[in-house]
Amino acid sequence: MAETALIDVGVLFATVAVAGLVANRLDQSVIPFYIVAGILLSPYVLGSLDLPALLGTGAVPHGEALALSGESEFVHLGAELGIVFLLFFLGLEFNLDRLLDARERIGKAGTVDLAINFGIGLLLGYALFGAFVPAFFVAGIVYISSSAIITKSLLDLGWIANDEADPMLGTLVYEDLFIAVYLAVAAALAVGGGDLGAAARSIGLAIGFILALLLLVSLGTAWFQRSLDTDTNEFVVLRAIGITVLIAGAALALGVSEAVAAFFVGMAFSSTDHVHDLERLLEPVRDTFAAIFFFWIGLETDPRLFLGVAGLVAVAAALTTPSKLVSGYLGGRIYGLDERRSLRVGLGMTTRGEFSLIIASVALAGADAALAEVAGTIYAFAVGYVLVMSVLGTSLMGYSDRIESVVVPRLESPRGGAAPTDD
Amino acid sequence: MAIYESDLPGVGKKFEVELDGEERLIIVTHNTGKREVFLKPDADADGEKLFEVSDRLARTIGTILEGAYFQPVQTERVETMLSDETFIEWYGVSEDAELAGRTLAEARVRERTGVSIVAIQRDDEVVPAPSPDTVIEAGDTLVVVGDREDCREFETLLGTVDEP
Repeated sequence: MAETALIDVGVLFATVAVAGLVANRLDQSVIPFYIVAGILLSPYVLGSLDLPALLGTGAVPHGEALALSGESEFVHLGAELGIVFLLFFLGLEFNLDRLLDARERIGKAGTVDLAINFGIGLLLGYALFGAFVPAFFVAGIVYISSSAIITKSLLDLGWIANDEADPMLGTLVYEDLFIAVYLAVAAALAVGGGDLGAAARSIGLAIGFILALLLLVSLGTAWFQRSLDTDTNEFVVLRAIGITVLIAGAALALGVSEAVAAFFVGMAFSSTDHVHDLERLLEPVRDTFAAIFFFWIGLETDPRLFLGVAGLVAVAAALTTPSKLVSGYLGGRIYGLDERRSLRVGLGMTTRGEFSLIIASVALAGADAALAEVAGTIYAFAVGYVLVMSVLGTSLMGYSDRIESVVVPRLESPRGGAAPTDD
Repeated sequence: MAIYESDLPGVGKKFEVELDGEERLIIVTHNTGKREVFLKPDADADGEKLFEVSDRLARTIGTILEGAYFQPVQTERVETMLSDETFIEWYGVSEDAELAGRTLAEARVRERTGVSIVAIQRDDEVVPAPSPDTVIEAGDTLVVVGDREDCREFETLLGTVDEP
């Protein structure tokens, strides 16, 4: 791994900060901007520019010396911490009792969403790669909506006060639970490569680890409660990070997904009295490292690969935008919403983001020689796909007024137009 | 009147209050403590955001609405609340006050009333941490910390001309 100088870290954070500023000005989600900033500073773009020649002076270092490398230790570890904290928060929000209260509606809407979108992803992946493992990765990437972007958009647009927020957030919870299990299997599949026997062994290990964690979570509540019983914010933050990163790191050392481990640690804390403090204190920590994660995703992306996957991204976007619209619409109907609000649920759920990228990085990190080339393609596909879907999804939500005024009358009078449902 | 409560995973909680007629008031309590308040003309309409406030301000507004919170504005003295039951107050020392001319040690203010004199303002100067042998003079402004009852006790001490 390459060394990272302090100036590199400074460049990283300054770039991310500027990217965030630009995103904010343009009223867009920050995630695609962080990724693009990463791409621009990567060895593939900045590294290939011959700055001295462009400027006609030898005083400026050559491009390669300026570019940040995704291989550099700090950025890579920062990105990994980003994954850990993103999943930790998922677990933290994941209150089993609350979920059980609404299990019927969440279960139905979530299953419709899973069946339609994961199903289409599997078919698409299999049609393109002709094998199960890559199809499994593509399915995960196109299935999971972005909790981060969608929740933020709900708040920005004020939809949070409306009825459509319930099915959207409920379905996101279902997806999040699914993704925790999915990541465990995906990490095992990636390590096992194409060999199903090896994959089965690592899946066995992963499931064993999950069961051990579940046991720890259910028996250890008192311990997790005591572990943070302290008055100073400093100790709460340090202890929470200490516990989370230690367990996640141990999981990774054992060959199990660190993200899944972090999810369960978050779940363990969700039943303590400290949830509020943790959310308040660790949110900035999560956002800082999540920004590094998205930036790192960009650094690792060779934009030339986009040319190779552009067609694939286009096909996937063309297939999975309508599929989320339909599954979201049906989810809204399951929640008893009218046509207009159900349509909004569909518009809102089309955004894909952080989890698709986490899946892609799992695929890339675990891939051995047998899978390396396919994993590279899947990775480039995921980045391109997320760039398209995050911007498209936020725009669909932003322009929902106009879309509603066109679509809703047709939904309401099925005989009058090409309505996709029988309602 | 009906109130609907629902969870917003990742955000917080939502309360929907039926007002007179069709109107509904929506209060979103964020995990961070922030409150957003929306108004919907009827159950099917989109919420229109009225305002958002911090946790602390929301509690104050809440107690005012409840009718429990009343803090009259008094012009004759300055009073600042440190917490619900602890105040910082500023008291002037008059010519005939019993305390005038005594040192803090002689005045035994803390023993007699429970309040602490944390600073003394004298003309343009401030004595930030008066020692036991600091002399209180007529015309001083005493900065005092204590709970409501102790402060009242101190007022009577200032007001009464002498005390055996």
